Amino acid sequence: MDSSPDYSRLIQSDSVHASLYTSQAVYREELEKIFYRGWVYVGHESEIPHPGDFVRRNIGEEPVILLRDRKGELRVLKNRCSHRANLICSDGKGNAKNFMCPYHGWVFSLDGQLLDVPYPQGFSRDKSESGLVALPLVDSYQGFVFASFNAGAGTLDAHLGNAKQVIDRAVAMSPVGRIKLTAGWVKHKFYANWKMLPENDTDGYHVNFVHASFAKVLRSHYDDAALQAEEDLESETIDWGNGHTELNLGPSYKNEMVWLGYTDASRFPGYVAALEQAYGHGRAHETLRAGPPHTVIFPNLFIAEMNIVMFEPRGPNECVQWHTPMLLEGVSDDLNERILRQCEAALGPAGFLLADDGTISERQQIALKSGNAWLDISRGEQREKEGPGDIRVGHVTDETTNRGFWKHYRRLLSR
Amino acid sequence: MQLVSIEEVRRIEALLYQEARLADESRYTEWEGLVDDDMYYWVPAGHADGDPSLAVSVIADNRRRLKSRIAQLNTGARHAQLPASPMRRVLSNIEVNKVETPKEQGTREYAVRANFVLYELRAQSTNTLEVWPGSVEYRVRARPSGDWKIFYKKVQLVHGSEPLATMGFLI
Ligand code: FES
Ligand SMILES: [Fe+2]
Repeated sequence: MDSSPDYSRLIQSDSVHASLYTSQAVYREELEKIFYRGWVYVGHESEIPHPGDFVRRNIGEEPVILLRDRKGELRVLKNRCSHRANLICSDGKGNAKNFMCPYHGWVFSLDGQLLDVPYPQGFSRDKSESGLVALPLVDSYQGFVFASFNAGAGTLDAHLGNAKQVIDRAVAMSPVGRIKLTAGWVKHKFYANWKMLPENDTDGYHVNFVHASFAKVLRSHYDDAALQAEEDLESETIDWGNGHTELNLGPSYKNEMVWLGYTDASRFPGYVAALEQAYGHGRAHETLRAGPPHTVIFPNLFIAEMNIVMFEPRGPNECVQWHTPMLLEGVSDDLNERILRQCEAALGPAGFLLADDGTISERQQIALKSGNAWLDISRGEQREKEGPGDIRVGHVTDETTNRGFWKHYRRLLSR
Repeated sequence: MQLVSIEEVRRIEALLYQEARLADESRYTEWEGLVDDDMYYWVPAGHADGDPSLAVSVIADNRRRLKSRIAQLNTGARHAQLPASPMRRVLSNIEVNKVETPKEQGTREYAVRANFVLYELRAQSTNTLEVWPGSVEYRVRARPSGDWKIFYKKVQLVHGSEPLATMGFLI
């Protein structure tokens, strides 16, 4: 079975085949065609503010180092020595003048060039051809850094498309238009396929069931946004194209700052004043009411309201969801601490929400283990609307987001 | 440092073993009965000495949030513990010190350290065994009335900086 799976058969407009979640062959092709051929999110500029700052990341299963070089330029290097392929950097983050491989002591500059080889008389190659592999495409938008192994991946601008305005909405939560990811990461392991993360994270249909225990004991913005009778729900699902999908919860919020667990903005007068000053009264109060986006940016970034989330695939049956609070520049420590506490409440292995999502995804993975089943993603096809700029908009409980994800996935995997 | 008597150590060990057993058996309300009104329940995410007001934790519950956590478990609809994980933990290497200046006047307070290993069967989904090793720091308060309560519990997982499986139970 060397031939590639027939994706046009396995992915229908209204259903997808279970083998897409279980097959090793499909998983290998995803790595190649999504993670190694396209643009992938690697980190945020605020994680590496100074020259020499670096963080370790994985793109698909390739270990990389995201860093800022001496000149302040962003770079992504393969974390693999050009000699005998040892891991160059084993620290999760730090600041480096250069990288020395711990195996035989080769030294590389921050832009990947080979500077020094111990016992040089035996070294017959050309140093300039033995550097670390630098990813050919590295670009950032509003501080969000993306990279690609493939020089022909096109522009980041084209990849992001409509998702740019989503990122704009996220950073506009700050009166100076900047966020900072400085609180570290929690990593939550799911024994489930990585695609269940983007699918579940913008699924508005499950909230009433998976999160019933949460809704019983805590009042939250999800009461209005996702837990009303079908005809009373004003939130939307949006397929922005390119696999980017959103649960647009804003339309359901009546009051300001409900997205942070308040009934109005009176706790944070300084924040209100700063937003008004920066954006004018009208736009500031619209931001305070509508709140941050809840959007997956294909394939591995989730702007999860006041949190930033990354998806990491680890084989067909395991994945990791990373999260950190989306802290704001230009606001009080008080407000940022509130964002941090809300992040812990919602996300992660012990989160009031995500612990239950994780369990549900694992049960789904068990049920489709044979790889011999179809998953129905047809809900709301008949009432989905076309929006401006080729987007699709559905009821918040509809599978518009899932269809948007799979449509793009099919395009990439069929190439 | 003030000397701690063998009787005090015994009393504290009994409290901690009781706390461990109630957590193992998912007896949430009885467990909650052992904690004081100013309880802080903290599971850092690997960066042990990180300031919880600046660094994201796995759990950083004040008393109010802990109450909600227990209420959520008590709904019987918390999928992450439906059914509750069969669990057993072993507590060892217990060291007890008396706190010189108690937070609450007129009480005796103790700082206690221990190691633990928790074995959990993930009965809600994968039915696999998960191992949770770590160290734990407690603060314990004894009131003159003879009432003993835990008012601080910090659980430092050995693998707290790595991907962690879903952890819906009380650790
Ligand atoms: S493998 Fe890096 S120096 Fe040899
Ligand atoms: Fe959910």
